[in-house]
Amino acid sequence: MIIVAVLSIIFYLLSLYRGFLIYPGFLLQVAYMLIRGIQLERLPLVGPHDTLFFLSSSLVAFAIPFMFSINDERQFVGSVSVIASVFAIFSLLSRPHNIPLPPVLRTYWFELHVGLSFFSYALFGIAAVLGFLYIRNKDQETEILQYKAVLIGYCMFSLSMIFGGIWAYLAWGTYWLWTPKELWTTILWIFYSLYLHARLRKEWMGMPSVVLGIIGFAVTLFTYLGVSLLMKSSHTF
Amino acid sequence: MLCPAYISVKINMFKKLLAFFFSLRTAIWLLLALLFMLLFGSLIMPARPEFSSLNSMPLFDWLGENKAGITWWLYGSILLLSLLTANTLLCSIESLIRKQQSKKWLLIISPQIIHIGFLFMLLAHLLSSTGSFRGNTVAYEGSALALPNNLAVAIKDITVELSPSGYVSDWAVNIEYLSDGKGIKEDYLKPNSPSFYKGLGIYLKDIRPYPVKTVLLEVSREPGAVWALIGGLLFMLGTVTLMILKIKKESSS
Repeated sequence: MIIVAVLSIIFYLLSLYRGFLIYPGFLLQVAYMLIRGIQLERLPLVGPHDTLFFLSSSLVAFAIPFMFSINDERQFVGSVSVIASVFAIFSLLSRPHNIPLPPVLRTYWFELHVGLSFFSYALFGIAAVLGFLYIRNKDQETEILQYKAVLIGYCMFSLSMIFGGIWAYLAWGTYWLWTPKELWTTILWIFYSLYLHARLRKEWMGMPSVVLGIIGFAVTLFTYLGVSLLMKSSHTF
Repeated sequence: MLCPAYISVKINMFKKLLAFFFSLRTAIWLLLALLFMLLFGSLIMPARPEFSSLNSMPLFDWLGENKAGITWWLYGSILLLSLLTANTLLCSIESLIRKQQSKKWLLIISPQIIHIGFLFMLLAHLLSSTGSFRGNTVAYEGSALALPNNLAVAIKDITVELSPSGYVSDWAVNIEYLSDGKGIKEDYLKPNSPSFYKGLGIYLKDIRPYPVKTVLLEVSREPGAVWALIGGLLFMLGTVTLMILKIKKESSS
């Protein structure tokens, strides 16, 4: 089965030369997750192996609609492919979580919470890529696309936090816990709230908001990987 | 009698204060400051053992018991959130008044719905930070726990299912609420399905099938939960609406 995942990475890297090869790469990633899901009889969304792979495929899935709107498609596809490959490689280096889920994780709230979180992380990643392309090309259309990616990502992230709160209340009796992960999730949410508010002001439109969109993905990665790996919390891997 | 120059200075100060709270720039700087305050908190929290008790008691009670050396970022966050609340309220009112003639009412109202949702969530945290309650206890089949208001809860039956590899795959606990020793309501605790009665929630935190079926129960009261849910739903409604409208607007412009 691992060959399917490896092939997807190869296709992503080949898409640096022929952009359309990103599609078979994506289909192979979906196939890998489907096979894993069927084997585990659940959505494969637990542990760094599954979540990094899911993030990698989400990044490509959300990049596809942007590919039809962006002027510099080649650069965009290349950047997304490289990031998706890096996440997929790190995923394959992590040990898969194959044991059955504890009863508390077998709920749609968990799947909604985690799925939407990674969709939003992927969109924040796309926003960062678009930010770099804007710095390179100074194309106004790219800045607008970055704003759209952040807006959709923010919406999904907010939904993920709300669903997470409802689930936490049903599972543990509180919708909020004082842990570094919850604080960083709030930091990430405040950061993108700041981006969306700042962009309403003329002096923040263009380069300043684009830079914020790039920094945001660094905050996203720390919230996802840094806090989970370095700090003790309810979300530790 | 007050001199006119003094009154003029006071009026100017009041105008400046209002301008400060009506400003979007203020919101941006407050969000930035709050972000850094929480960042400091996330670094202090794992390093100090005092924070281990923060999740088991109301925030304001915990703040009263701990030194400012480790709690300053929480006080700072509360102050910034208070300022942000005033700023959100005033900006929303001002925006509604200024744009009341606009025909794009959904585009005008949806950010305000998001703001109201945010304020409800803050209210929820305020209520939970003052009036929440949490208590843990170990219970067995046949045992009973005392609850406030002359109530008790009896553990009638504990069912644990194990997978072939020995993991707990499912569980259910049959409980009965008692008033003066008489049964008044029967209920089940299941994964992600606690039992609620008269403002109290009963949760199963841990279960041991051997040597005797044992459960760790938590009795809790979270007065902010309903407000958090209302706030969350409003926030969700406003965000999704605004996202659709803004993307349409950006695509057509």
